[in-house]
Amino acid sequence: MIKKKSFNVNLNFSPKNTEVIDEKILTQKWKKRVLILHFLLFFLLFILLVRVFYLQIIKHKYFLKKAKERSVATYIIRAPRGEIITSDGVVIATNKPIFQLYLDPEVIKDYEEEILKKLSLILKEDFGLLKERYYLAKKKYLGRILLKRDLSWDEVSKILVRQYYLPGVIVEVEVERYYPYGEIYFHLIGYVARLDRNEYKNLKEMGYSPEDYIGKSGIERVYENYLKGVNGQVEIERDAKGRLGKIIGRSHPQPGLDLFLTVEHHAQVGAYELLKGKRGAIVALSPKDGSLLALVSSPAVDPNKYISGFTPEEWKSLQHNPFKPFLNRALQAYPPGSTFKLVTALAALERGIIRDPRSSFFCAGSFNFGRKVFRCWEKRGHGSVDLFKAIAQSCDVYFYNLGLKLDIDYLAKMARSLGLGLPSGIGFPGEKTGLVPDRAWKRKQFKDEWYQGESIVVAIGQGYLMTTPLQMAKAYMVLANGGYRFKVFAVKEIRDKQGRVLKKYNPLVEETVPINSQHLSWLYEGLKGVVEYGTGKAAKVPGIQVFGKTGTAQVVSLEKKRANLEHHAWFVSFATNGTTGLVTSVFVEHGGGGGAVAAPLAGEFYRVYFKLPPTHPIIPSGDVLEEEAPPAEEGNAIEGVSDR
Amino acid sequence: MKLWSEDKAQNFVPFPLDHLLAWLTFLLLTFIGILNQFNMGEDASHVYKNILWYVIGLSIFFLIYFKIDFKKIPPQIYLISYMGITLLLALLAIFKKRWLIIGSISIQPSEFLKIILLLFFSYLFSKRREGSEMIALWLVYLGLLGLPLLFLLPVDLDYAFIIGLTFFLFFVFSGLPKRLLFLFIGLGLILSVTLVPLAWHKLKPHQKGRIYGFLEPQKYYKTWSYQLYQSMIAIGSGGMTGQGFKQGWSTRLNYLPAKHTDLAFSVWAEAFGFLGVSIYLTLYGYLLYWALNLTPKIKDPFGKYLCLGIFFIFLFQLFFNLGGSTGLLFMTSIPQPFLSYGGSITITTYILLAFLFKLAKRKFIFK
Repeated sequence: MIKKKSFNVNLNFSPKNTEVIDEKILTQKWKKRVLILHFLLFFLLFILLVRVFYLQIIKHKYFLKKAKERSVATYIIRAPRGEIITSDGVVIATNKPIFQLYLDPEVIKDYEEEILKKLSLILKEDFGLLKERYYLAKKKYLGRILLKRDLSWDEVSKILVRQYYLPGVIVEVEVERYYPYGEIYFHLIGYVARLDRNEYKNLKEMGYSPEDYIGKSGIERVYENYLKGVNGQVEIERDAKGRLGKIIGRSHPQPGLDLFLTVEHHAQVGAYELLKGKRGAIVALSPKDGSLLALVSSPAVDPNKYISGFTPEEWKSLQHNPFKPFLNRALQAYPPGSTFKLVTALAALERGIIRDPRSSFFCAGSFNFGRKVFRCWEKRGHGSVDLFKAIAQSCDVYFYNLGLKLDIDYLAKMARSLGLGLPSGIGFPGEKTGLVPDRAWKRKQFKDEWYQGESIVVAIGQGYLMTTPLQMAKAYMVLANGGYRFKVFAVKEIRDKQGRVLKKYNPLVEETVPINSQHLSWLYEGLKGVVEYGTGKAAKVPGIQVFGKTGTAQVVSLEKKRANLEHHAWFVSFATNGTTGLVTSVFVEHGGGGGAVAAPLAGEFYRVYFKLPPTHPIIPSGDVLEEEAPPAEEGNAIEGVSDR
Repeated sequence: MKLWSEDKAQNFVPFPLDHLLAWLTFLLLTFIGILNQFNMGEDASHVYKNILWYVIGLSIFFLIYFKIDFKKIPPQIYLISYMGITLLLALLAIFKKRWLIIGSISIQPSEFLKIILLLFFSYLFSKRREGSEMIALWLVYLGLLGLPLLFLLPVDLDYAFIIGLTFFLFFVFSGLPKRLLFLFIGLGLILSVTLVPLAWHKLKPHQKGRIYGFLEPQKYYKTWSYQLYQSMIAIGSGGMTGQGFKQGWSTRLNYLPAKHTDLAFSVWAEAFGFLGVSIYLTLYGYLLYWALNLTPKIKDPFGKYLCLGIFFIFLFQLFFNLGGSTGLLFMTSIPQPFLSYGGSITITTYILLAFLFKLAKRKFIFK
């Protein structure tokens, strides 16, 4: 380095100075500089390359996903749900094409008001209401917002011609669930509704899209996986301003599978008509295989309303309806009342307590056990009562005697082997299993011993005992077919759209109950007596043989004391015309006496089923022996048992 | 009769290979530049307008390369143009304008400032005895550098900062005394510690936002870092081979803001992927490498400094543009040579390249 002490720095840029530079030193200096700059250059280039490598290679998948989320709008094409068809070929759940108006909140987020304003003019709807509907739906659902369903042709064309000015507004032809028979099948096939935010969160792993509908109850829910199908989707490019461009991908939806039910349409409709205006349920089973022939609960709701939407008034009135139309009464548990007496009788026969059906007890209208007095519903007493008369007249005292002799655990075992206290096999959500009490249950529940007095009450179908109308039908089915406890099933086949049978449900015997055929014929004799000369004469139908048992279940609840509620009316029976038969359980909640209310319904139902001319009016003639529930006295009234 | 003198014959190099490669690089980069204009997927008029800029840029390139002799340029021109641009920047600063708009053409003066400062300082440095000057003189140089940047600062903070940094390093490698260098580094540290909190409040919201956006691009992806985030998506979604010519989602569907200028690199990266980026960086890097190796060979001091300056300008332009669009550095609004659209950047790039290739001519190397 040249070190000059003098301040001889020349500011007049004369070329002389440059010549004095010691070139050798300067060249070395420059070499050093260039070397350092080489490092700088390669270092910076290396950093940049590494960074780009990181973004493009290591994080490629992530950014590609982000890019796709941003610039590709994926719309779901909902797969049409499978149809549901009855055994006689009536389509009871189908799909119909309609125009839907969707808004994509992602696209219109910056000009929601503007778009809604335009739409309110096109649809001639109040702007405020439209806005409210949009924001409510946006809060509740993910994905596109269904602003209006079932557009008219006029509305569709008005929107489509203005499509360029309405980014994020989509008109789509969709298939929508449609139930041609509305309320009739509500409790059997259930309904579908759109997924809400929380449901979507749980179900998205299973291939659901935010705009999907899902079966909420009944068959729609149980067979959701078969009915649903596989959604298709369209991928459309979306530019930064939200306008949709060309379609870059499309997969076609696969429709759901069709369900073929065992249910017979005319039976279902008949049962529905009979229960109109009442609270109750009618269940019919085939004793041949346990297949469901009809299942009606009344009142019901129109399932189409879950798709088209309830008005707030409708929804409110349904919610506050004291008849609880959402409740599937066929699957709720109630005290079975006298219909259970047949189970008691069977247990007593099988146990050898009744050796001779002609051996009788004396009914004086009441039965004393310890200090307690149990009354018969016939206050005057039935006099001398044998098994046939006891069933036909539903004598309580006869069964009190059996209850006294029967071991509760044996009775419970018999009840369970007939299917009581167990799931029926239909598998509907919300199905109650009911309750068949025994010692173990009492110990667990109340930490107490079983008292024989309680057996006496159970013997006539009261007390802790709770059964569903479906279970009662199932129990009588076992009696009707001589001991085969079939699993109840409603779907016999699942087919694809080409008609190939993909799955076939065969009858399944859950348990074969060994019943002495002699005993069985005695019980049939008794059941025949009910209809011929006993409490269920109203169920008598000329031309067919009906075997039935009435029941009038005492309603013990706190409510009873306030409102004078009627008893539950039951009539469980089976009937045959010689070639075919069916088991029916008729239940009318707070309907009154089983003989007066339920038995005529059963009779009418058989007329419909066997296509016999109906009687008019349905109201029974005056000479019907009216059974009543045993009076609620301290002796046999058990607190806590209620129909709720 | 001798055709060649001994001396001349020894020095004769039949067009060295590295020069051939440099010319090839030049052509390829020009090709890439034009390709990227089409790649942006704009309408034809937009593309052809920029092709026109390329034609003008290349014309200027060959004009300088063949017709202009630095030796014949009176040195006063450098001083006059320095004073002229400083005055222009002062005026623009007063009117708060970033662009000089003449008719339908808008010129970015900061692009031309680079060239004028480069010529001016290269000339100043060449007329001194390196290693012998006093600190006072260096302070004068620094003052001469700072003055136009001071005017540029309020209208174009990014460019003022990058030009400042580029020329400071240019000074350092042109013989800035070590004492002064350490003084400045020390001063810089003290100032950044003390002034940054103060300056923070003075920053405009969009400038603050950029810093927020840089620190957390995911969090502010809808606001401050929208640009950066979209750029990162564009680059990242390119992958190894890219989405294809004119096929990039971000480009085609207009998700990339400023895709013509600041984020032109992202457009390239999205369309041609890591492969395309590697090609671009290799070519660009080779040009820089070649320029750097040329520097010590040039015998003429003016050319030496000019060459070094060109190296710095191209290096920092690359580093700040790519660093910004990949999220490595703060997002700055400087264009990328070759890839970006614009008259000012295209013309200045070709002017600088013309200088570079002119310096590589034998007569400069073997004076």
